[in-house]
This record gives sequence, C-alpha cells and structure tokens, in this order.
Amino acid sequence: MNKKNMILMISICLLLVAPLFSGCISSDEKEEEPEPVTLKVLHAGSLTSPFEKIEAEFEADYPYVDVQLEPAGSVACVNKIIETGIEADILASADYTLIPSMMMPDYADWYILFASNEMVLTYSENSKYADEIDADNWYDILRRDDVLWAFSNPNLDPCGYRTPMVIQLAEAAYGDDQIFEDLIESYSSIYAEEQSGNYIITTPEDLAPDTDHLTIRDKSVDLVSMVLEGGLDYAWEYISVAVQNGLDYVRLPKSINLSSVAYADDYNKVSVVTCDGKSKSANPIVYGVTVPLNAPNSDVAALFIEYIINEVGQGIFELDGQPPMVPAGVNDIELVPETLKEYLEQI
Amino acid sequence: MRYVEITNSMRKNPLSCIFFLIGLVIILFVVATLFNLIFKTLFLNMEGFRDILNDPAVISSIWLTMYTSFLATLIAMVLGIPLAYVLARHDFFGKQIIESFIDIPVIIPHTVAGIALFSLLMKRGAIGGFFESIGIVFQDSMWGIVAAMLFVSYPFFVNAAKDGFASVNPNLEKVARTLGASQSHAFFHVTLPLSVRHIVSGAIMSWARGVSEFGAVVVIAYYPMIASTLILYRFNTGGLAESQPIAVLLIIMCFITFLAFRLASKKKW
Repeated sequence: MNKKNMILMISICLLLVAPLFSGCISSDEKEEEPEPVTLKVLHAGSLTSPFEKIEAEFEADYPYVDVQLEPAGSVACVNKIIETGIEADILASADYTLIPSMMMPDYADWYILFASNEMVLTYSENSKYADEIDADNWYDILRRDDVLWAFSNPNLDPCGYRTPMVIQLAEAAYGDDQIFEDLIESYSSIYAEEQSGNYIITTPEDLAPDTDHLTIRDKSVDLVSMVLEGGLDYAWEYISVAVQNGLDYVRLPKSINLSSVAYADDYNKVSVVTCDGKSKSANPIVYGVTVPLNAPNSDVAALFIEYIINEVGQGIFELDGQPPMVPAGVNDIELVPETLKEYLEQI
Repeated sequence: MRYVEITNSMRKNPLSCIFFLIGLVIILFVVATLFNLIFKTLFLNMEGFRDILNDPAVISSIWLTMYTSFLATLIAMVLGIPLAYVLARHDFFGKQIIESFIDIPVIIPHTVAGIALFSLLMKRGAIGGFFESIGIVFQDSMWGIVAAMLFVSYPFFVNAAKDGFASVNPNLEKVARTLGASQSHAFFHVTLPLSVRHIVSGAIMSWARGVSEFGAVVVIAYYPMIASTLILYRFNTGGLAESQPIAVLLIIMCFITFLAFRLASKKKW
C-alpha cells in the first residue's frame, strides 16, 4: 500500500470512528440532562415562518428537545396521521375545522384556535397589469388571455380550496355571476352547483387545469418563488405568506376574504367537496393546533404549544402578518393539558 | 449445466464465495424492501391493483414517465457522445473544470435544480421565452419534464460513455487511419462499436435516473403528472392503499424494461 492510499484509509477509518467519540463526550458532559427528545410537528405550509421562530426560542430554553418541523398542505398533514399512521407530537392546521371533522374522536379530542389569516391575491412588480390591479378589477384582470395565475391544489391544501370559495363569493359581492365560470370552470374541471342559495363546489381528483392560464401546485407556498421569479403573474395566498415573502398583494373586501367572524354566515353559503368526498364549508380562516392522541411525547408537545399561545408566540405571529387570537380559544377546556389552561378561553 | 459450472468455479475460489455472501446482504436489503411493497399490493390489495390497471390517468402517467425519460436519454446521447469522446481522448486546459460541471447535477438538491430550471425555462425566462416563440413551452408541459430529467440524468450517461471510449486503445484508431480510414470512419466503425456496452449501460442508468426524478420535475411541470408526482398526490389524498399499487406497477414496468435492455445489450453487438 503506498503512502497516498494509507492516508486515505486512515482518514476513512477516522471518519467512521468519529461519531462514537462524539457520543462518548456528550454523554459524559450532560449526565444530569433529561433524555433527548425529538418533537415531530406537522404543520400547514403557511405556518413555516412563525413556527421556525418559535422553534428557535423553544430549543434555546429546552436544549434537550430537537423540534422537527414538517410543513405540508394541512389536509396532507392530517392524512399522515390518520391514513399513514405516522406518529406526530403536534398537528397545526391552517383550517381548524379539519381537526374536528377528520381527526376527532379517534385521533384527537381537543383543539386550540391561536391565530387568523385572510386570502389575498399576490403578485410582483414583474406581473402583467401590476400597475392596474386593485380590489375592484382583479377578476377582470385574471380573465385576460395573457395572464397566468395560480392557486394550490384544493384536494391537498386549504388555501387551495379556499380560492374557489373566494371566487364564488365574489360573484355576489361584485354583482357579476360569470366570475366563477370564467375563472374556475373554464380553466379546470372544478365546478359549482347552486342549491337554494347555497353553492357547492366540487374539486375532482384530476383538476385538468388549462396550463396556458392556470397553474396548480401542491401547496400555496410553492407558488411564491414562481411569482417572485416572474414565471407567474398572480397567485392566491394567505396575507401572512405575502407579508413574509415580500410579495405585493390585493386586499379583498371582508365579505369575501374569509377573515372576518362577522361574515361567517355569508361565507357558510359556499362549500367545497374535495376528491375524498368530504365537504368543507367556507369559514373564517382560523388556525388550529392539537396534540394527537397517539403522540409519543405529549408532555413536551404541551410545552411547545405553550410557546405558540403565550406572549412569545403572539409577538411572532403579529410580526408575520397572522393576527394572534388573544386569548386563544379551545373547544373543551377540560381536556387540554393543565399547564395550558391559563392561556385559554372556552369557545 | 451452467449452474454446476458456476458452483464449481466458486468452490475453487473461496474468496469469491465470501465476497458473494457479503454481497448477498445488499441484495437481500433491496429484495426485502421491494417484496414488502409488492407482496402487500399484489396479495393483500389485489382489487386496488386491478383498479389502477383500469385507470387511464395512471397508465398515461407511467407511459409519460417512461417516454419523457427516453427522450431525455436520447438527447443526452446525441449531445453526450461527442463530449465523452473528447474528454476520453484529449487532455486540455480546464478539462477538470468541465468534468466537475458534468458531475454537479448529481449533488445539487433536486428542488434547487428545479427552481433554477424554472427561472431559465419559464415562459418569460431567458431561454424559455425564445423557445416559446418557436412553439416549445416548458412550464407545465412535457418538455419541462424532459428538461428536468435531462439535467439530473446526463452525468450518468456522459461518465459511462467516457469510460467506454477510454477503454478503447487509441492505437486501434491509428491502425484504422493507417489503413486509409478517415477520422470519422475510424470513430464510427472502430471506437463506437467497441464502446457500445458502456454506452448502452450508461443510457440505461440515465433513463432509470430520469424515471425516478421527482424534485426537479415537480417545480417546473406539476402537470402533466409523471408517475412520481401522481404517486405522491394519491398518497396525500387516498393514502397508501391508492398510491402503493401505482408504485408497484411502475416498478414492474421498469424491471421489464431493465431486463430487456440488459439482455439485448448482452447479445452480439
């Protein structure tokens, strides 16, 4: 064996053995510390920014906990728990109603409402007609033949099924009963039916978008870089995502932007049936969090949720454009962990 | 008879026997993983498997995956063979830099590759704009899939072809030249046929890499859905029961293609 090979062999051996040593050292030094815990948090893509900040604060205070954030569309997050049997410690959804409708009673028995949001139409300075668009003409601009716009997959992401809801609500708000047909039905296989004043929107498994006008991706945050790069003119997002990513956005009337509890009855006239056959009514956008019943580390999960609903979390959500609910609401205060009760109010 | 020959030759080589046993571990690892998936589908979820065989969306996405990857491999061959030959035969300033560039797609995270490709090839991108004017659109189209697959798979082809050309003794070309063959005649009739095994094996690897690509494709072309996009989509909407059968069908189709190519490349040439 020549010298070069020898050096190579030695360095490979060192690399292989190194982890053993580091293990010894750390276990010697931190003997009194609790067992390391990995906290798996499944959360809506739109919570990525605030949750990363909360993670940093939390891990600074609890160094033995490794928080693993796993963002995805909210429906996909819930499905990981109820379909695939993945054991997660926390589930945070962009639509709190998913917890009672999909997870209770088998996988959860309580949920906390901690922040709200609203739907906006985002764009960048490169977007076509960016200098023209406003809250009164956005639907005419999206109708134009040379405009490319996008929303996320309604079958996977609440931001995705809220988009057709907003567009349906716009018909009554702007007095134009062609908006939904022109923007949604003519560009995709999604369709709406009226039943005595209520609208039921169906989103088939194959959405068949006309990709010359309409782009669809798994989750709404996937669209952000496409808008910033100039590959898309407009994308439907939550206002928080727009604020966090520096996108320009059109703010829509409260009667259609799904932000206001005062309009809950109007929103409720529209519902979406996704491809799994489940129906979701349009509701004010309120984030919900729970600890699944099969969570491996439910004690540590409660500690993390405390950081979501205490002053630390409230400040972070405020900065990220997701108004926190103060105090946070809960469906059944008797069922939540004792340490959280002081922050909560029964709804 | 062949079995006896093989076992006899092994008995005479105890080291090969040991190597074979060690190698068996990794084969078992792969077989166990695949067997678990295939067994669960074919025996416990036969109905689900039958359903997807009748699902046009599934069949067309698997066909699309195999076809686009084939196109990507074809482009890699047309552009990669000349490059591989130059790299195998000549030393020049900056050669190592070029070789490093060839390897980069193997190491970049695929989402990063996808975003880079998107901003270049989107309708209003530097190159995408030009192609749109001649009628080729990459954004959410078949060509976007081909571009993403080409980006991640051509290193496998170029490296294999380079090894192939390097394994042909340059003196053979010189002999052909002294016998009156032109340079290109010598290349096409001597060097290329002698490296065909490497080239075919590189093409198979490149095709396979393309079929397995997901991260880069999904950024530039979510639609039309290739098999891996559809599998993840069905997994997210319908869970394992709806996604596993598609995965199994893809594995079976790829296995058949692999086997066919390997057998074909063994024969004559």
